[in-house]
Amino acid sequence: MSYNKPIPTPSPLTQPFYDGAREGKLLLPRCQDCNRVHWYPRHICPFCHSMNIDWIEGSGEGRVHTFAVQHRAFGGWAEEVPFVTAYIDLNEGDRMATVLRGVDANDPASIRIGAKVKVEFDQASEDIHIPFWRVVEE
Amino acid sequence: MGLSKAAAIVGAAESNEIGYPEVPKTSLELHIEAIKNVSNQTGIPISAIDGIFSAGQSSEIAEHLGLHPKYIDTTSVGGCSFEIHVHHALLAIYAGVIDVALVTHGENGWSRRRIGAGGGGHYSGGGAGSPGTEMTMPYGFSGAPSNYSHAMVRHNHLYGTTPEDFAHVPVVTRDWATLNPRAVMSSKETHEFGGPITIDDVQNARMISWPLTMLHCCLVTDHGGAVLIAKPEIARSLKTNPVWIAGAGENMSHSNMLEMGDFTATSAFASSRTAYEMAGLGPEDMELALLYDSFSITPALTAEMVGLAPRGKGHLLWKEGHAAPGGRLPMNTNGGGLSFNHSGMYGMQLLVEAYRQLSGTAEDGVNGIKGKQTNARTCIVNGTGGSLSTTGTLVLVADD
Repeated sequence: MSYNKPIPTPSPLTQPFYDGAREGKLLLPRCQDCNRVHWYPRHICPFCHSMNIDWIEGSGEGRVHTFAVQHRAFGGWAEEVPFVTAYIDLNEGDRMATVLRGVDANDPASIRIGAKVKVEFDQASEDIHIPFWRVVEE
Repeated sequence: MGLSKAAAIVGAAESNEIGYPEVPKTSLELHIEAIKNVSNQTGIPISAIDGIFSAGQSSEIAEHLGLHPKYIDTTSVGGCSFEIHVHHALLAIYAGVIDVALVTHGENGWSRRRIGAGGGGHYSGGGAGSPGTEMTMPYGFSGAPSNYSHAMVRHNHLYGTTPEDFAHVPVVTRDWATLNPRAVMSSKETHEFGGPITIDDVQNARMISWPLTMLHCCLVTDHGGAVLIAKPEIARSLKTNPVWIAGAGENMSHSNMLEMGDFTATSAFASSRTAYEMAGLGPEDMELALLYDSFSITPALTAEMVGLAPRGKGHLLWKEGHAAPGGRLPMNTNGGGLSFNHSGMYGMQLLVEAYRQLSGTAEDGVNGIKGKQTNARTCIVNGTGGSLSTTGTLVLVADD
């Protein structure tokens, strides 16, 4: 079945991320001067304003920071309601948005802030792989 | 003379029709009606306006009015844009660049379903080339409610609050709407679902983005509004009462919610401190609070940020009845974005209500509608734009 949800268009800034994702790696931008990881990718480090930024391979692990259950959505996502969106605190620092897997959207009380999550990738097109996060056992 | 009270809001009016007009309105039409009404109200001819402030449409509106303004500001950072415009107008008047500023709003949030939005005038962040948008667009977020819900869940987690706690906000705000005949949800006559609502009504309404049901979310309507701001010499010479801009501040914490460090804190903490400091007043001095209520979580969080409640306890202002009609701190007395009117950007509705309450014109109403609700002499107005992103705070005081 073809992927029917929004697919991002890479820019030169973000292309390395998708190159990593194609190989199943979660690449993260890291400032070579202050050593901090940031997300989303930037032209300049938001912490120290250095422009010396490279990519490191992240652990692909993190924790649920907060979440919500979407009962109304558009396009391909409309077929999936209810589904859980979440913000993930990366082990390396900073935060990613996702649709959260491994949880029951019909029982939000069972979803735990702080739950451990691991990344996985869906192939959306020939070149684009999109990261999603799944709650895993401690 | 300092910046505080260097200018006053001297009039505030709305377009002839707001809410759900039978005949679709364009955003431009909503602007122009409100501008004509505020000119009539104040006696200030449109030709005397020398500064124009709107969320994205200033050049088109100035051209439509045949104006050649000396100061053009078209800051568009979401629903708080209009509070920020007032701040900018205060600065421009204080600096002596202009004498009379027009802040104007027209947004056919409802009518655009039939006739389209027309050009400009809406908030949009990101887009092509925005890495923040690129990294959130794959995940099925569908507008403001789908994001604000995450803030409530985080608040629940940190402070032990519940969605039911926040359901008191729409219930109390609806009570205010029943006192305002111009509110969309004032009564069964204004809307089939109008009139008082209960906690159960709120919690059992259709789920939009858990834990936000439809009644935790604001309306989508048409609105046009305009205020005129003038230097003291002019403000004291008019037939309308001035409402003094004692303090003003603006700030932002992020644009994309991905960058919101603390999901239970907004930049209203900073913007309100700037405004209080300018005014020489504090939260304990405020007799009325108009806090942007895009969702139930928004004014409750904002109350915490602007010092009207401790962290984690903003919702108690509503739950314990303090914000309600007859309470110690009336809040969102027009019925709010939840039950009065919300066109997409609600900052102008806040300004119009603040002027009504503090100028005494609520005695006679705006555009002929009665509705005096408070005797407040001081008011904090806080607009929130984007995804709890940008804020503008005003501390307004009645004329002596």
